[in-house]
Amino acid sequence: MDLSQYAELFLAESREHLSACNQLLLEWERNRASPEPVSGLFRAVHTIKGMAATMGYGRVADLAHRMENLLDHLRRSGRAPADEIIQLLFRATDALEKAVGLAVAGRERDADLSVLTDIDHAAIQTKPAPQPSALARHFAPEPVEEPSLPVASAAPAARIIDIVIRSEAPLKGGRAMLALRKLQTLGKVERVQPPVAVFESDDFDGRFVCELDTAAAPAAIEAAVRSVGDVERVTVAGGAAVGVDEPQASAAEGAAGGGRTRHIRVDLRRLDTLMDLIGELVTERGRLNDLAARWVGQDPEIDEVAIHISRLSADLQNEIIQARMTPVWQVFDRFPRLVRDVARQLDKQVAFRVEGKEIELDREILDALGDPLVHLLRNAVDHGIEPPAERKRHKKDPEGEIVLSAVRERSSVAISISDDGRGIDRVKILEKAKHEGIVGPHVESLSDDQLLRVLARPGFSTAEAVTSVSGRGVGIDVAMTRIRALGGSVEIRTEPGKGTAFVLRLPVTLAIVRALIAAVGQERYALPLTYVAETVEFGTVPLTTMEGRDAIVLRDRVVPLVDLRKLLGTNGGAPAPPPRRPVIVLEMGERRAGIVVDGMLSQQEIVVKGFDAPHGTLPVFSGATIMGDGVPALILDSAGLV
Amino acid sequence: MSHTVLVCDDAIFMRTMITDILAQAGFEVVGEAETGTQAVEKYRQLKPDLVTMDIVMPDMGGIDAVREIVKQDPDAKILMCSAMGQQALVVEAIQAGAKDFVVKPFQPSRVLEAVQRVLG
Repeated sequence: MDLSQYAELFLAESREHLSACNQLLLEWERNRASPEPVSGLFRAVHTIKGMAATMGYGRVADLAHRMENLLDHLRRSGRAPADEIIQLLFRATDALEKAVGLAVAGRERDADLSVLTDIDHAAIQTKPAPQPSALARHFAPEPVEEPSLPVASAAPAARIIDIVIRSEAPLKGGRAMLALRKLQTLGKVERVQPPVAVFESDDFDGRFVCELDTAAAPAAIEAAVRSVGDVERVTVAGGAAVGVDEPQASAAEGAAGGGRTRHIRVDLRRLDTLMDLIGELVTERGRLNDLAARWVGQDPEIDEVAIHISRLSADLQNEIIQARMTPVWQVFDRFPRLVRDVARQLDKQVAFRVEGKEIELDREILDALGDPLVHLLRNAVDHGIEPPAERKRHKKDPEGEIVLSAVRERSSVAISISDDGRGIDRVKILEKAKHEGIVGPHVESLSDDQLLRVLARPGFSTAEAVTSVSGRGVGIDVAMTRIRALGGSVEIRTEPGKGTAFVLRLPVTLAIVRALIAAVGQERYALPLTYVAETVEFGTVPLTTMEGRDAIVLRDRVVPLVDLRKLLGTNGGAPAPPPRRPVIVLEMGERRAGIVVDGMLSQQEIVVKGFDAPHGTLPVFSGATIMGDGVPALILDSAGLV
Repeated sequence: MSHTVLVCDDAIFMRTMITDILAQAGFEVVGEAETGTQAVEKYRQLKPDLVTMDIVMPDMGGIDAVREIVKQDPDAKILMCSAMGQQALVVEAIQAGAKDFVVKPFQPSRVLEAVQRVLG
């Protein structure tokens, strides 16, 4: 049987179970006396073992098996585990995770199984005292418990049955038990040797003898026993021969009822392809609408068809977007472990909470979000939360708190990472920013917004400026670049002594957005509507300057202008700009900017395509799209312009 | 008419594999359950000809599910899916009323043999 087709499923499901292991270990570490985590851990590791064995990943299965063994001991002992045991299980889970990854990559031999020695050692230490299982106690006195038939009447019909299960059969005890059950359908079974309790042992050799008080013929008895499978030999001796057919299994029940929901797993790449195709369909729909508008005079029916196609493709698009939606817990679930590890490493005490786990985002966005979040969470533990002693000095709970939450807003999802730590020292940041010439020497204070812009400067090291706890550079710029590449925005709120919060706003889906199509020179550019606040006409509003830049005054607020012609270096062959150029006002949080273009062409849905900007490209593009006429246009990144 | 099967296992991987093995042999998998509770519930709804039952599942384990199902339907045909080292549990499951068992890793031929035995 070809197993390779199951490899991805194996990997995906193993990861879910490994993530569950980490969650359960964290829970157990906090609450040692709770009996639930160990049962859950046992189940998760057991499941991985079964799947790995089926895939033929012997090393993974072996590691899981030995972890399971240790967990079984811990489960049965019912005692709170020592700290070393929990730490060992964390290590073992990591080793298992690596081994799973290597196995799927065809490099199972490279798996590091050095943790096995410690696991086996711990398993010996935690082994509970042997005691007869509930089943053995239940089954052993069987002949005594039930009222026995008079010996005289039983003796003549009693047959001695000797059964040997095939030596290569797995779990011979189970097979022997099936044979015994089969015999019980024929009559009364007594004097089972060895007793059934031995069947439960892994040392059981597969041979047992018993007495059967039956009216069945030896051939029927033998046939009945053989029907359980894996039977090497059956010998029937003694008793009277009265042939009775073995009872037939009763007829099967009726067929199944309806009304069931079914799930299938689909390769993400397939959904990507579907999304691309839908994208092309949406583009063609745009062309069809243009055509219909032109031809509707000749044949009104074309309009009807165009409208129908529009509606169908919108529905289709919607369904596919839904199919790509993934709850954030799929990425968030690994963070409790991360926060714990970092906190332990730095000797900090941190309670970590996750809220809004069920909120959904496009799979692609969610995947890309992982690294920036890791970054910001590490920062929160490292630079945000103070060491316990410092917190005590400031009359704070020595245990700090970090909350990761997801909230659905209108057309976006807000993800915030907040800590109740020391906050960012604006004065120090301001000094440093002045020193590096990022802000003018006359600036007195930094707003949250300016602060973020300073922090997000590549190479601006907050580690030096804010804290001496860690020498590691921060690089919020990396996280911000990633978020912005996804069409998102970042906000920061910080208060000295109270804490810091980063709020990331992300579009719910990447693939299709409504955009304003603007013209500059001979080119067209798309501006996603998410951040477009309004449009005004240049010349109808008062002009001013702000920090040396041209600006307009809009309802008593000064909005700096960005002239796309100048920014993009549109020149020479391009037609002269029209006298009255429109200004598109973008708004991101507190920040605003007016983008001056040559003209506004339309508002339409565009399909966002990935965009590998050549080196040296202005950092103001977030992607590209194909217009209705087949000509590509660049998508302007609002965050890069504001 | 093909026999109907209810596949109970907490791992989608295992359910997929068992379903593939059975479907290729002409069985109709009419339902899946991830927990013992679901298995009992679905058995009541679907009345399948055969149940494949994992031993270790969350919520209610496979052995308790066997007890519940057999209580409702003494003729229920339940095939246990066990792993090496689960000797005691398999013995207990058979006591509870399971009709046969297969051992992971599954070999399709062994699974189908066991299924034939269970269905008689």
